[in-house]
Amino acid sequence: MPEALLQALAMLSSLCGMGWLALAMEEHWRQVRGAGVPPAARLRALAAVAIAASLALCLAADHPSIAVLVWIMSLVAAVLSVAFALAARPRWLAWLVPASR
Amino acid sequence: MFASFRHSMTWLHTWAGLVLGYVLVVVFFFGTLSVFDREIDRWAIPQTRFAPQPMPSFDTMLRPVLERIRPEPADLAAARERAGGALPALTPVEWTAYTTHRDPVLLLYTEFALGKDPAEPDAVLYGHATIDPRDGRLLPGDPLKLGSEFFYPMHIGLHLTWHDVGYWIVGLSALAMLCALVSGVVIHRRLFREFFTFRPRKHVQRSTLDLHNLTGVAALPFHFFFALSGLTIFAGMYFPVSETLLKPQAQVAQAAEARARGLPARAAGVAAPLASVDAMVAEARRRWAARGMPGEVGMVQVEHVGDRDSVVAVYRAGSDRVALLGQAIHFEATTGRVLHEEPPATAVTGVNDFLTGLHLQQFHHWLLRWLYVAGGLAGCACIVTGFLFFVEKRKRQHARAGVGGARWADAMAVATVTGMLVATTAMLVANRLLPEALAGRNDWQQRAFWGAWLLAFVHAAWRSRPLRQAQPSPAWREQCIAVAALAWTAVALNAATTGDHLLRTLAQGYWPVAGVDLALLIAGACAAGVAARLRGRRRAPQLEGHHA
Repeated sequence: MPEALLQALAMLSSLCGMGWLALAMEEHWRQVRGAGVPPAARLRALAAVAIAASLALCLAADHPSIAVLVWIMSLVAAVLSVAFALAARPRWLAWLVPASR
Repeated sequence: MFASFRHSMTWLHTWAGLVLGYVLVVVFFFGTLSVFDREIDRWAIPQTRFAPQPMPSFDTMLRPVLERIRPEPADLAAARERAGGALPALTPVEWTAYTTHRDPVLLLYTEFALGKDPAEPDAVLYGHATIDPRDGRLLPGDPLKLGSEFFYPMHIGLHLTWHDVGYWIVGLSALAMLCALVSGVVIHRRLFREFFTFRPRKHVQRSTLDLHNLTGVAALPFHFFFALSGLTIFAGMYFPVSETLLKPQAQVAQAAEARARGLPARAAGVAAPLASVDAMVAEARRRWAARGMPGEVGMVQVEHVGDRDSVVAVYRAGSDRVALLGQAIHFEATTGRVLHEEPPATAVTGVNDFLTGLHLQQFHHWLLRWLYVAGGLAGCACIVTGFLFFVEKRKRQHARAGVGGARWADAMAVATVTGMLVATTAMLVANRLLPEALAGRNDWQQRAFWGAWLLAFVHAAWRSRPLRQAQPSPAWREQCIAVAALAWTAVALNAATTGDHLLRTLAQGYWPVAGVDLALLIAGACAAGVAARLRGRRRAPQLEGHHA
């Protein structure tokens, strides 16, 4: 089912986007990485690309009227998931920044 | 009155939130359940557990049933009382058949006119029937559809039907919700800096406020658009100008609009037979396909039944769009000639259709449905943490001063929040326990719901005494245990009474029932988990108290 795949990728893109947006903040960066300063500008740019990609994927999967709703709700779910991950298991978000120093 | 704008907004947020929050949390919770109302219906009515069906033949199956429908006995009695004796002749004026991609059974409505008094053109009565579209037979016993006929009306009108007061209370709460959202954004000190912040290990007041802010801000677009569209859907009820102040103008406008479309606004008063509706449905489908949007039939409506100027309207199901129904094609009922093909929506009706459709969600999109559930639960969490924060902030001060405010706010919160869960799960248990042959089975299920909720209220008030010493109320934990027990019992009873246990429904991929069972198991586990954590916490504050 290509639609289901597109929707799954859209959800994942939203999650990455919101994850990077959170990691661009010093406090959350330290929760995930233990120490250091985040490359904030780069992370925010990456987040913007991921969130835009999520919208594109939603539009590819559904009629625009539905796609917009799916996109907004996927962002809502992503913010909640990232916040709960940061609260309970912050290290789980480390995969979002594997190569950074 | 207030030192600053922020202070006045804090006051508004606190008090509008507390007073109408008790209503709002009920509206949010039953709204969340309504996302899966048809699936709850399948769970509650085992004989309807089969695949959704397309609209059946009107001529051979629906028409004979529609002709047999009579008005609801209660409505008929009330009308007779209003008329003070015998009623004038009842004539069916409108037939409606409505289905969605999630409905195995089909709902039919007939609207009856009372007499022919031109001064009272709207004196109407309604009758309905639910049929199995595979054989056209009526659903025996007219069982209560727990999802769409009990939880959904709870969401939109609290079952307070006297003068529609429930709709008005819900509307006022939606307005309060919009106020609370705006004032909440104003008083939030670190909206962006704490966008992702939840610190469960800080003290209760801090972590409660974190969760309140997080669930409020993260799901802000959801909260805003649902409160707003909830209001616009019922705008015609809240501002009934076309029924009151501007009634003559509204009727003239209606007639002019009908003329512009070539549709008769009124019946001619001359009897005439109905041509084949199936042929009209086939023509409508052909026209949709020609427009590049082939689709299923969502609604068939016959206006001015049996009249020379009768009109048949065939609506396309909006499964693949946000708007509910659309692309209606109107036919002359006596000949099947096309009278009017609705043009694409204008900007204004498009926005209205979008707002209505996004709220009423008849589209075919399971992911979006689940995301709505997440949004609804976030709304519930936001309101409940609001209550908890209110109590947590005041309980010590109120205990010292001997004031009951925090105590009663907390007791009301227990009774509303966990009490609502106790009532819902108790209703599901009653649905499976009450014998099929019991007279008034539908009423007994509703009594189980209200009775359980009443008990939860009494229990919450009775157990609220520890708040006088600024200690937490044990009612939270005890009602959580009741919720877990009832939810798990409901799953076990479904397996025992219908044989559709999870292993079978999952193996068959019958998601309506498997989904409700799984949701009940998870809800029970969450309630049990909360109860266990509260047990741990019950000891901790006493130690804190010794130090203080």
